[in-house]
Amino acid sequence: MRSLHRVRIAVLAGALLVVLLALLGAQMNASAMIERMSQQAARGIAEAGGRPVRALFVSPNGWPSRHPLLIGGERLDEDVRGRVAKAVAAVPGVAGVRWADGNTLADSAASIPSPRHCEQDVAGLLRARTIRFEESSARIDAASRSLVNEVAAALRPCLGSIISVTGHTDSSGSEAANLALSLARAEAVRDALVARGIPRGGLRVRGLGSQRPVEGLSPADPANRRIEFAVVATEPITPTPVDMPGPR
Amino acid sequence: MPIWLELLILLLLTYGGGLAIGWVIWGRNRSGENHG
Repeated sequence: MRSLHRVRIAVLAGALLVVLLALLGAQMNASAMIERMSQQAARGIAEAGGRPVRALFVSPNGWPSRHPLLIGGERLDEDVRGRVAKAVAAVPGVAGVRWADGNTLADSAASIPSPRHCEQDVAGLLRARTIRFEESSARIDAASRSLVNEVAAALRPCLGSIISVTGHTDSSGSEAANLALSLARAEAVRDALVARGIPRGGLRVRGLGSQRPVEGLSPADPANRRIEFAVVATEPITPTPVDMPGPR
Repeated sequence: MPIWLELLILLLLTYGGGLAIGWVIWGRNRSGENHG
């Protein structure tokens, strides 16, 4: 058992050596490292238009750190703060960025799909083509299935928002029947979207019958039979802020 | 997190990994003791 004892001592001595090596290595390299990162960060901040901001590469205890603390950006708007944080985060070696006065997501608004975008994307899809239904029925026409697929794909970046699905009809037939039909069609579209992975809770259906014809069209025009999508409440899913600043 | 702590964790993990590999390859049945 003597040899086991010797092995233990050797392992512990090795660990001690490793600790010393780490401390020595950090001591020798850290200041040059944060010096270089500070300079590059300052350049990035200036380019992002965040002049008063300074990036301090220190840990809360004052040790050199790769996680810079951004100070002096209290009066900048969120957009500039986002750009500044992104510029600093892009410096090689920087591990994560945080603001001294509370955080804003480093990814600027540009990279988060805005719900309005989805609305416009869907409107663009439906401008050229429409979701068609079988005559006086709420069954989606087989030819429109691929369009529904595209609509579902366009809505996906806006998951988390409340999206209204509104059915409209033309003015032929009784208004009560039109209301019921437009609602049934909106529900059919909702169910089709749910089947394609859009959460049911985020979709609100309405049927307006022939009350709101397309602008410039007579109420009897068949082109009034349509489904419209609108983003009602905006609450887009944001990327998980892994080692990136969270909301202020 | 201070740089020294990051470096320390990295090196200790490497050291521990090296010990583990060595143990798996040579240390498990301690054949060296039987054959002198």
